[in-house]
Amino acid sequence: MNLRKFLLLATALVFCGTAFASSTAEAEKRLQVAVNEVLNAADQASGSAALVESLRPILEKRISFDAMTRRAVGPGWRQFTPDQQRKATDLFTTLVIRTYSSKLTPGMRPVVNIKPATSPAPGRVEVPTTLVYDGSRYDVVYRMEEAKDWQITDVVIEGVSLIANYRTQFDDQFKKGGANAVVNALSQSVNNPK
Amino acid sequence: MKRLTSILPAVLLTSLALSLSACSSTSRKQPAESTPVGGGKSGDKSVQLLEDVDEYDVASIADPLEPLNRATFWLNDGIYTYLFRPISKGYQTVVPKPVRNGIHNAFENVKFPVRFVNNALQGNFKRAGQETGRFLVNSTVGVAGLGRPADRIPSLADVPEADTAQTFSKWGIGHGAYLVLPVLGPSSLRDTVGLAGDYALNPVNWVSILYGGYAWTIAIPSTNSVRSLPVQLGAYDTAIKNSLDRYLAARSSYVQYRAEAASK
Repeated sequence: MNLRKFLLLATALVFCGTAFASSTAEAEKRLQVAVNEVLNAADQASGSAALVESLRPILEKRISFDAMTRRAVGPGWRQFTPDQQRKATDLFTTLVIRTYSSKLTPGMRPVVNIKPATSPAPGRVEVPTTLVYDGSRYDVVYRMEEAKDWQITDVVIEGVSLIANYRTQFDDQFKKGGANAVVNALSQSVNNPK
Repeated sequence: MKRLTSILPAVLLTSLALSLSACSSTSRKQPAESTPVGGGKSGDKSVQLLEDVDEYDVASIADPLEPLNRATFWLNDGIYTYLFRPISKGYQTVVPKPVRNGIHNAFENVKFPVRFVNNALQGNFKRAGQETGRFLVNSTVGVAGLGRPADRIPSLADVPEADTAQTFSKWGIGHGAYLVLPVLGPSSLRDTVGLAGDYALNPVNWVSILYGGYAWTIAIPSTNSVRSLPVQLGAYDTAIKNSLDRYLAARSSYVQYRAEAASK
């Protein structure tokens, strides 16, 4: 082990470290952009129906609905035909956008504070945030992944993961009647909002 | 010593190899089963797809009483809709927001023994001390807890909640089984025992013992219930909104929420 070898090693380790650091910073930046876009849209929307419409393009760009849907479905996803996969993704996208929009009231701007992110695995980042809204404080963690860009794959509010919550329900439907049951239950939920 | 210097490079190189593989994005955990069965659009993508559908960790709970729990759940849903929601709405209409906040703060402040005792039982004396500080500041400067000036003192702000069921969880006791309680909603065998502990530790429930008399016994605990309705119903709505199965959505939310609270 001579000095040159040691330096090479040290450089490699430092390089690896900065690669991690820059990925978390990049994800934090992306999330900040997404949050600003959403809050501005919420400020400008005239009502809740208009809000859903103006949020859709923003969320479709910032959230990876493909990843979200296949994880919410779980291992059963392999038994979906490409057509069923597309239907499930479309329906789940609508449901998530609706859920997300319902939490925002036009004119009431929440304060979002983005905290330093961590990287549990390469290409994956978790960004903890606190959200103060209507006098209450919530811990919200955004799970993000790098594909073409950093995109949100899961939102964890006070420890409750959106994906995990739907996984329980999709599993149950899948056990009852396979992919068709999942798609039917989804379309029922989309078409009869409760 | 000589031997050590001769193996050192090997150790360092091994750790270099490990750290490099850890930071390269191609070496993610391989799926146990990697035969693409439809679904994947291209080769690479389907491998990743099979990988990530399997690995997601989902909090679960044993639910041997599911049929009974579902019945209680629907009964509760009716009680919430036809009894609690109108009361909650009335309370929010009649009592202005600043007053509601004051009442809410005061009842939370009085619950101090629940947080103090449980932090102590969990061996977290720092938090028990912080809670004592909060109680003293909020009871005095905050006028009987109507305000929360302690939130503005950095060392006293943001102390995580503590309750009896959480103490059991930290002691390593599991949920046992999921249990939907009449009126109160999602719980478990363990958390129900925890609720009894919280009830005994909450001074709001001591008034009946101390003062007797119907007026106090009914007035104070029911004010306490009413003031918590908007918060509780809000949490319930968040859990079940846009769900495929309200019962499962509420159960999953409950288990995840409790796991998170115990991890803090």
